[in-house]
Amino acid sequence: MQTSEAVSTNTNAKGNKKKSFQFLYFIGPHLILFFVFVLLPIVYGIYSSFTQWNLISDQTWVGLNNYKTILLDQDSTFYFQFRNGLKNTLLFVLYTIPFQILFPLLIATVMQHKGLKFKGLFQAIFYVPGLVSASAGALIWLLIFNPRLGPMNNLVNSDIVWTAQQPYAWIVIFVMSMWGAIGGNLIIYRSAMAGVSEDLYEAAEIDGAGAIRKFISITLPSIRFPLFYTFVMSTAGAFNVYVQPLMATNGGPNQSTTVLMMYIRNLAFGSGESVAGMASAMAVLLGLVILAVSALQFYVMTKRSKG
Amino acid sequence: MKNAHRKFLSAATLAGITLLAGCGNANTITFWNPLTGDDGAYMDALVAEYNETDPEFPVESVITADMYTKIYTVMNSGKDIPDLTLIHADRVPQFADLDMLEPVEGLMATNTDLSADNYLEVAWNAGNYEGTQYTVPLDIHGNAMYYNTDLLDKYDVNTFLDDDVVTIEEILSLDGKLDEGQYAINNALIEWVTLANVVNAGGDISDEAGNPTINTDAMRSVVEQLKSVADAGLMSPYGEDGYAMFQAGDVLFSTDGTWTSTAHGSVEGLNFGVTNIYSVTPDKFTNRSSAHLFSLLNNEDRTDEKEQGIADFLSWMRENSIDWAGAGQIVASKEVFESEEYQQYPQSFFTSSDVEKEASYIFDYKYYSYVESALGTVLSDMIYGNITIDEGLDQAQKTVEDLIAENAS
Repeated sequence: MQTSEAVSTNTNAKGNKKKSFQFLYFIGPHLILFFVFVLLPIVYGIYSSFTQWNLISDQTWVGLNNYKTILLDQDSTFYFQFRNGLKNTLLFVLYTIPFQILFPLLIATVMQHKGLKFKGLFQAIFYVPGLVSASAGALIWLLIFNPRLGPMNNLVNSDIVWTAQQPYAWIVIFVMSMWGAIGGNLIIYRSAMAGVSEDLYEAAEIDGAGAIRKFISITLPSIRFPLFYTFVMSTAGAFNVYVQPLMATNGGPNQSTTVLMMYIRNLAFGSGESVAGMASAMAVLLGLVILAVSALQFYVMTKRSKG
Repeated sequence: MKNAHRKFLSAATLAGITLLAGCGNANTITFWNPLTGDDGAYMDALVAEYNETDPEFPVESVITADMYTKIYTVMNSGKDIPDLTLIHADRVPQFADLDMLEPVEGLMATNTDLSADNYLEVAWNAGNYEGTQYTVPLDIHGNAMYYNTDLLDKYDVNTFLDDDVVTIEEILSLDGKLDEGQYAINNALIEWVTLANVVNAGGDISDEAGNPTINTDAMRSVVEQLKSVADAGLMSPYGEDGYAMFQAGDVLFSTDGTWTSTAHGSVEGLNFGVTNIYSVTPDKFTNRSSAHLFSLLNNEDRTDEKEQGIADFLSWMRENSIDWAGAGQIVASKEVFESEEYQQYPQSFFTSSDVEKEASYIFDYKYYSYVESALGTVLSDMIYGNITIDEGLDQAQKTVEDLIAENAS
């Protein structure tokens, strides 16, 4: 019986076994793009973080100076920007990630119900916002939350200026983010749940399991890999948040929604001379934070699956 | 049969590619500009009009929103550097220090009409750094204050416009007199208003040694006065769109830009005029401005013949840029802004007298962008009381100092 393998061995005319590298045709293009547009820039960015650079002149090696300033020099603007930016980014991750997993999970569970009609339509309604450009979506949400003209204030007869005070500023950013984020994970969960055997549910029902029991003991364990994947990817994506706070609040009020990516971008591509070395150092530190969080998630999720 | 088919296809493809390659004319002047939106449409029309004159070196206008990032990329790689670029005034010192610009003295030598005499003084000087002329101006564009004529009548304050300068004192006199939901001023471009008023108050954003001076008495006084207007409820509220409120007819004075006249003009029922930005003193008024300047990025591949082509294009622009006024800009070419046709545009107000011309102020401090950005981060918070003025100015001062210290050049 022949089993299909990525590398197949065929016997050629001389009777020698010959390895086929057909797989390279499939992953080759992506590998090249990955190398040129992802790996090389990452390596160059790490190198830049040890330099003083304005994007035009040659780089000047400064060793760990940038990192020392960001992490240790309490008087420095860059120390403040890194801490404030990271704090706000962490807040965004904490506010949005649980719901970015929970909402799609619950919706996918509901959509599993056999009696529910128009499943495709509902899925499209949830998915389409994720396709809309984040900037365009932000502009529309700003109109919705407009204190004078927006339906939000006019329907509930309120005069809150949403983007000018906390916690409303975070609420606007949260709503904007959820609107666009639910669809992507929903599709993944639905497809994963569709693969769970009906027999398991029937057996559980016979044993007297209720809906919640079935969800916790059958559905969740069966979809743990897609769940893990979406958890890690969504978290990493959330750490890179940039558009929503920029468009909604421009980082205000009082820099309470200025996320780290905004500070990094302004340092590297602001209107004055670029301080790209410092920006690269901040970006490397952010990358390390994301790496640490992902490693923690990996540990927790795989420990769970073994236990 | 299959083989012949394949050969024919590859030959046809090759021929096609060769033809397409031939389409890239070596005589084309690539012209990069950051004019997105309606501005870009006006510029494209002007360039098309020039190309219709069948020049030896036609111009290809390339609009990019992220032009400055792209400039860094091409200057680094040395490939595909554009022949002509339109940059803002505040980039000139930085680019000149980094040896990114070729002086335009070569163009001025062959086309003698490209000279200081034929342009608005402040626009021409914006391109002059340490005695060398690096640019030929297209326009200046800046802070302009629009007033709602109906509201001025309603509150009987037309006298504010008498001396062409509305003062903060006059604005504060409206305390308690406005209907609910109506405001005397909005907070559009409030950083520019603040910077201009620092000049009115006799201050500056830098000292002679080139150090930033943000945390000064003049700056503090200006911010305090703006804060007093906000505290009196006369400034549109924090977080609200003051520009839209002006268009809705709820704001007497809107401090936006020369380029918004066309947008305001398209609002039904909005009757407005334009004047100078309000001031902390009746003795002086300043309208913070910037300029769009034609410049030549250092490029070894640009031939002398092409530079002549560029000079010819700039001479043509000098004579024919009246259409640029349609975009709401203050055209820098003397021939245009002194023409009768130009006087129909609202922005002709800013070139109507020597006093007006002098009021258009372009900051030439090398680190101006840092100052504007650092001030902008804390200004609204100071004005609306989220932080104290001392905290805000200290932070802005420190931010600019730290950035300058980190500069590689």
